[in-house]
Amino acid sequence: MFQFLFKYPSPVFTKGRFELLGTWPVWLLLALIAVAAGGLALLVRWRLRNAAPNLRHWRAWAIWGAQSALVALILLLLWQPAMTVAELSSQQNIIAVVVDDSRSMAIADSSGKTREAAALEALEGGVLAGLKKRFQTRVYRFGGGLAQIDNPQGIAPTEPATHIGDSLKKLATDTADLPVGAVLLLSDGAENTAGLGGTGIGLDALQALRNRRLPVHTIGFGKVEPAHDVEVQDVSVEPRATANARVATTISLTEHGYAGQKATLTVRNGDTLIAQREITLAPEGRIQTESLFFPVGAAGAKSLTFGLEPLPGEENLNNNAVTRPILVSDAKRKILYVEGEPRWQYKFIRRAEEDDPTVQLVSMLRTSENKVYRQGISDPNELAEGFPVRPEELFGFAGIIIGSVQADYFTPLEQELLREYVDQRGGGILFLGGDASLSDGGWAGSSLSNLLPTFLPAGNHNFHRDPATVELTPDGVDSPITRLLDDPVKNAERWRKLTYLADYEDPGAPKPGATVLVEMHAEGRRMPFLITQRYGHGRTAIVASGGTWRWQMSEALGDPSHDLFWQQLLRWLVAESPGQVTASMPARLLMDDGQVQISAEVRNTQFQPSADAQVSAHIVGPGGVNTMVDLTPSADTPGLYQADWTAERPGAYLAEVTANSATDVADPLGSDVLTFQREDGVAENFHTAQNRRLLEQLAEETGGRYWKSTDLKNLPRDISYSEAGISVRSTKELWDMPVVFLLLLGLPLVEWLLRRKWGVI
Amino acid sequence: MKLSRVALLAVAAAVCGVGLWALQRRGDYGFGDNDSESNVKAEFYWSRMAYHSNMASYGAYGRRGFWGFAAWSRDYPKADRQFLIAMHRLTRIDGRPTEQVVTLDNDDIFNYPWIYAVQVEDWSFTPAEAKRLREYLLKGGFLMVDDFHGTEDWENFMNGMREVLPNRPVEDLQSGDEIFHTLYDVDNKMQIPGEQYVWTGRTYEKDGYQPKYRAIRDDKGRIIVAICHNMHLGDAWEWADDPNYPETFASMAFRVGLDFIIYGMTH
Repeated sequence: MFQFLFKYPSPVFTKGRFELLGTWPVWLLLALIAVAAGGLALLVRWRLRNAAPNLRHWRAWAIWGAQSALVALILLLLWQPAMTVAELSSQQNIIAVVVDDSRSMAIADSSGKTREAAALEALEGGVLAGLKKRFQTRVYRFGGGLAQIDNPQGIAPTEPATHIGDSLKKLATDTADLPVGAVLLLSDGAENTAGLGGTGIGLDALQALRNRRLPVHTIGFGKVEPAHDVEVQDVSVEPRATANARVATTISLTEHGYAGQKATLTVRNGDTLIAQREITLAPEGRIQTESLFFPVGAAGAKSLTFGLEPLPGEENLNNNAVTRPILVSDAKRKILYVEGEPRWQYKFIRRAEEDDPTVQLVSMLRTSENKVYRQGISDPNELAEGFPVRPEELFGFAGIIIGSVQADYFTPLEQELLREYVDQRGGGILFLGGDASLSDGGWAGSSLSNLLPTFLPAGNHNFHRDPATVELTPDGVDSPITRLLDDPVKNAERWRKLTYLADYEDPGAPKPGATVLVEMHAEGRRMPFLITQRYGHGRTAIVASGGTWRWQMSEALGDPSHDLFWQQLLRWLVAESPGQVTASMPARLLMDDGQVQISAEVRNTQFQPSADAQVSAHIVGPGGVNTMVDLTPSADTPGLYQADWTAERPGAYLAEVTANSATDVADPLGSDVLTFQREDGVAENFHTAQNRRLLEQLAEETGGRYWKSTDLKNLPRDISYSEAGISVRSTKELWDMPVVFLLLLGLPLVEWLLRRKWGVI
Repeated sequence: MKLSRVALLAVAAAVCGVGLWALQRRGDYGFGDNDSESNVKAEFYWSRMAYHSNMASYGAYGRRGFWGFAAWSRDYPKADRQFLIAMHRLTRIDGRPTEQVVTLDNDDIFNYPWIYAVQVEDWSFTPAEAKRLREYLLKGGFLMVDDFHGTEDWENFMNGMREVLPNRPVEDLQSGDEIFHTLYDVDNKMQIPGEQYVWTGRTYEKDGYQPKYRAIRDDKGRIIVAICHNMHLGDAWEWADDPNYPETFASMAFRVGLDFIIYGMTH
């Protein structure tokens, strides 16, 4: 129909450029149109006022519009309009036919046939023959990689991966010296790297296609949405955890055909179920995000499986679970606890931490004016001189707790050291409420007031030995620090029912950027109880009470609330405090590709970047992989060392990165451990529905078109409009389009009919 | 029932409800609300345990007993208050100037994680009281016992202790134990006699010739019951201002008591 009205196929208009072939200037055309329209307006206004004074305004303007359009059309035709479009020269160009042979193409959801069979049938059913009439063709198959084949008959959907972008980039590179006019891609678009919200086609691949102006025409196969399926879209979990910690994970999933039904989220270590939670599935196709807490267990490198129990009638059970490598460490993190007076809070925090094997609580308690009682020290000399005054001593602690201690107990030098401890070293400081804490301890006027997550109130009588009850805020409901029970509702209820605090201190209002996790109620007032914030590279927090010990003494024997809260809070305090060596890599899960870049930030004992260290990684992996890799210093960032390495085999790998002083190899600066995992063929189980969005976007961004597999009749003809390969520009005059004649006849006719209807003839 | 009576009852119920609500909002949870010395709010309360005595009028905590006074109140309150004076002078503990009497017949004891009991050869517990004291100790409470002497007193003390902690062994404390080094290093321990030393010259009572510092620990090795057997630290505190009572004993008693408190507040 389009071509009947407009004489030419639609690509002429979508890809061509509009031109006026007449020699008269364009401004004259516009001026004449404007003059004609203005004259007609005056004429209509003058004539119709006398002929039909009661004619409504909009009807007069309609008549004017029809007349003006007719005049404008006639004037436009006098300027000889035309389209200039590039067309591939016949038999001089190659059309690259690229067929997806990944495993997902074996899914039989194309009218009872597999996607692969439907693709081959489309090719054999006329597309390939039509192309061969005008072009040479080259047939390729692709999955994890690209390979040219003689004909499509030998294609079988067995490849364990789908890498569309990489394959197209390789195609553009391999055929750089060939006159390829266009690419025809037959695929389900199930690109493995397509994540949430992304196209999955890399910019470098798109750029390679654009550089050659290669249009990619895509034909999609398979259902866009499965009828009955639940799929895990993503799992977010920290790659490191401390032994016996409760770790939070966020699982994103989608469902089709099970809206409103119950499903069970699970976390497994091998075959052992370590956590589960029942959820209600969200409406069709919507991304649903659920959190789940699980006990990470003993130390070691683990590969945990996060997923959903299979539902009856699911079409694809292989996309119900994903694995993530997690390194569970039992390395002790040292926390320095400075307490200004003997008090119960001190005792019960120490008792809680005695049950945490990952934390060494080193404390100094002022028992009398001139005596300090030390506990948890590693050797008799530790803290013998009092609070550390040198960075290499203080920065060895991963966290600091400051109890009921007045600000001026710390010298200006020590205060500056504390600020640098958080800001530069990246440590965490927790301030406790108390008789000499916060505002009552003079902290508001100290140089460290900006470290605190609240604006402290005025005065120094804000500590009260009166009861206060606590309640979670919405932020607290989601926080792993305050998670006493797995179920969020029951957890919030547990906090509400906790026995009252022995005392409280008004911490003031939270600063912008600070997060209040728990509030307290006392004397009819509501105040923050637990406030956290990030500061520089580190973090600070306030627990605005010295009386949480009542949660231990007044709750039932064996109730874990007190100890669990303090263990979780102190783990948060130190969890992100870096060591002298911090190893990292962009992704811990390598899908079908073993290339990995290992990076390590190395600092000296004062936590300044160490640019002259010797850094190496000892990597062990499956099949007896046991190798040493040297990391080289970055030219741009002091203290940063990097190495590229390839994990050849699928499986779990462990890399221990060690840094030594360049001047003394026997002097270790520190070490860090990474775990990562290569999985081959697993990604192909996910996102198996036709990714029409990806195929459409790929076609749009390269100048091609997305074709439905059921409507390919015009493909061989339309694919010829391309600027790639050997093409010629042709000019298509528009004056003789049937639609022009229809308008020339139709516009006066419409005007006449309107006049007749409105009685103004 | 007439409508006026219904309205009257409704008003009365509403007034009671509001009154109860107001009481709950303003309730002091047992801390008291006047400014007397006994109502000073503090971090540490010297808590003396009152218990049933099998030699006193059973079923009551009254002060009159077998010899005219209840066993738990020996030296009370002078010993307590003189000790608190020393504690204020020698430590940074924020303690109330007056003692607090605690009992085992209600959960108020859980507000006082350090308790002191004397003449424990006389104590006895109901099953509920024994359970409460056991939970108190296992949750983190600390008990110091004092002023009982000789073999028979020890057996009587242990009869009660076995009701509370049936399977926990009692061990002799050594000089190197942490409890003697929290505030003062108490290495050369002596037998601290009661006031009877002034007129008898004997440091022992009954057949308790040797001082016994003993303890019961929890599963993690922390002392939860500190036992001063064949000694009377309470008298030493009480008679510290008596010129006839030797300063050496009084000083040692204060050091030991303060060490025990600091230990109880840190372990």
